[in-house]
Amino acid sequence: MIWLSGLACGALVAIAPGIATVAAGLLAPGAVALRLDREPGRPVARTVLTCGLAGCVHPVMMLWNTGQSFDTAIAIVSDPAIVGIAWSAAAAGWLLTQLAPLAVRAVLEATALTRSTRLRAARSRIGEIWGLDQAANDR
Amino acid sequence: MSDRHEPGPAVLVGGEYMVDLTRPLPDAGGGVAAFVATGRRASTDSLMALAVDRRVPARPRALYPGIVGIEGLLTPLAHGGGPPIDGRPAWFVICRAPSGPPVSSALRPWPEATLIEFVMRPIAAILEQLQERGVTHRAIRPNNVFQGRPHGPVTLGAAWSAPPAMHQPTVAETAYTALCHPAARGEGRVADDIYALGVLLVTLAMGRPPMEGLDDKTIMYRKLEVGDFAAITGGERLPGLLSDFVRGMLAEDPEHRPLPALLRDPGGGRGRRVAARPASRAQRPFKLGAITVWNNRTLALAMACDPTEAMATIQSGTLMYWLRRGLGDSALAVKLEELIRQHTLDLSADKEIAQALLVMRAIANADILMPLCWRDLAIFPDGLGPVLAVALDAEPELRRKLHDMVNYEAQAIWATIRDERAPAGPQRMESRQRRAVLQIKGPAGGLARLAYTLNPMLPCASALPGERWIANIAELAPALDAIAADSPDAELLEPRIAAFIGARSERWLDQEIQALGAEGDATDRALNALRLLCEMQNRFYQVPMKGLSAWVAARARPLVDRWNNRERRVAVDAQLKVLAGLGNLRPILALLQDQAGHAADSEGLRAAHAELDGIDGELRGIAGGGGRRAAIAARLGQEIAAGIGLAAVATTLILAALG
Repeated sequence: MIWLSGLACGALVAIAPGIATVAAGLLAPGAVALRLDREPGRPVARTVLTCGLAGCVHPVMMLWNTGQSFDTAIAIVSDPAIVGIAWSAAAAGWLLTQLAPLAVRAVLEATALTRSTRLRAARSRIGEIWGLDQAANDR
Repeated sequence: MSDRHEPGPAVLVGGEYMVDLTRPLPDAGGGVAAFVATGRRASTDSLMALAVDRRVPARPRALYPGIVGIEGLLTPLAHGGGPPIDGRPAWFVICRAPSGPPVSSALRPWPEATLIEFVMRPIAAILEQLQERGVTHRAIRPNNVFQGRPHGPVTLGAAWSAPPAMHQPTVAETAYTALCHPAARGEGRVADDIYALGVLLVTLAMGRPPMEGLDDKTIMYRKLEVGDFAAITGGERLPGLLSDFVRGMLAEDPEHRPLPALLRDPGGGRGRRVAARPASRAQRPFKLGAITVWNNRTLALAMACDPTEAMATIQSGTLMYWLRRGLGDSALAVKLEELIRQHTLDLSADKEIAQALLVMRAIANADILMPLCWRDLAIFPDGLGPVLAVALDAEPELRRKLHDMVNYEAQAIWATIRDERAPAGPQRMESRQRRAVLQIKGPAGGLARLAYTLNPMLPCASALPGERWIANIAELAPALDAIAADSPDAELLEPRIAAFIGARSERWLDQEIQALGAEGDATDRALNALRLLCEMQNRFYQVPMKGLSAWVAARARPLVDRWNNRERRVAVDAQLKVLAGLGNLRPILALLQDQAGHAADSEGLRAAHAELDGIDGELRGIAGGGGRRAAIAARLGQEIAAGIGLAAVATTLILAALG
């Protein structure tokens, strides 16, 4: 897989060195995430990369429209605004991977708490009707 | 019941006879309290009412109508509750009143011819008729024989209001019956009446009571030492013909006494003389306790009077030595030695019981005519019923002796020893039946149950009804109702009441009575008591009993608490209060033992338990599911984030494509 990826990258550098340069500059946080994420399926790197990709679409279009020259690619990569937007998108992706599980956990806990409250009420009612109050409390 | 015993002229014995307690008849009852009685119908006969002591029952066999109409006998006409004596409910036996004073009122020597014609022959005729009806008199004594006119036959008094021979003086009975507890002398047989008649004839012939001034033990001893005839006549000469009769009538062995038919015919009777072999007399006496023993008969008496000393002399062997060397009765000595060998085997059981059995056997072997002697208590088995009745209100020691006697089937052992006199089979069976009654488990068994069973006329001996005379269950039911109303905390089904119900319910309530003795918790006990009272009301007293219903309701808490469903329990409780006010026990029973309802209740409880288990499982799952939820949240969060990333890419691509 690594070899295939290297081959693809090499092919890209050979065929379209401008695009390769822009991608390398703008997707650097994604590459870092890919390197650091050791989770199965690399969920963090995946989101950081997709968000970084979203930030690369406009600069790549701009390069494509201006003839894909290497100089233009260097100019784009050296533009702090473009690099900031692309890296911010990657950062937003990383932030999303951190916040989304917390939000989901909060929803699940709230659901469990509601269910637990309902069950305790039902248990108390049954215990009272059948004289199992003490037994119910002991459990 | 209480209505029946309120003072006033309306209280009629047997619905027919009125008792006038202001006119006592001191000499008419032969020692029993007697009062003038009058019938509702006009009659020339003067009547008397004999008071029955509530602790000693009247003779049920003698009160059946079969003996009515015997000429010369004060036969019973009716019996039942009457006006209270000293504020206490009383029971009376109505008889014809005697037409004259008792012969004891002015004792003088009677001529022989008069004695035979006006005393012996009339009484013999009466005894013959009683014998045909299967009844004995057992109360022939000078103060119970009456003479209306100087030259006329005597009238035999009543003998129905107390146990047989209970009021007989010692001299009028053989030593064997006199030795017994007064209530335990038994129905006996006609030979016992013949003996008493013989004593009466001697009394009237001599014009004074025989053996006067001697205490009971001396009288018995003299009779056994020198023979009944010699002891009673005291060496005084009787007219020839009378002497012959009396000698036969006072024979030691009942088999040798003449039958009543022979006494009605003096010519024939005189010719029949059967003499028993006199008891052999020892060359030297043997001292056993306070009694000097000269023969086997006095030996039996001494052992009966002092069983502890008897045991000691038997175990030490001194008695057997005297029997061989002094009395020359090796056969008895061998028997006693055999008893000691048996005793060593019996020692595996209760030592006291084993000793009582040994002495009892020794006494019966020494003199086959002796009654059943258990420790220092002597009874004839057919007198067990009355003595049990007496024992209910007597000291516990008497009850213990009687209990052991029945429990160890002493009657069967005693009967086996005297098998040559009477077949032991029926006695063994009777003994076993009595033991079975005694051993009935629970409050309805024991000595009280046996006492009620053997005494059909014994009133309820419980302390709860107090002095009320409760003769049957129909009277017990309202009494219990009143007690329950007055004392809600009273334990109504205490052993003497339970035993009374068991004995008097004619097997109708057997099942319920047996259930009272069953092991169980408070619920079972309450339900069994309720079933018994309900059945009693249903069968014997179908009148609302509010006191009893309230009593039952107050004790039904465990039964109400059996309902698991709280709402149902509250409803049952409310319904119970309503039903208790109506006084009918059957609906209360139906409410509390509703089996279909209880089955549904149990099923509901089972379902509730299952539901609770399900809920608890789910709650445990929620409580322990934090880690699982965290894992789900992490996975789902990453997926959502990835989805948002892809959406962002897609959106920017679409926007780029649209320019």
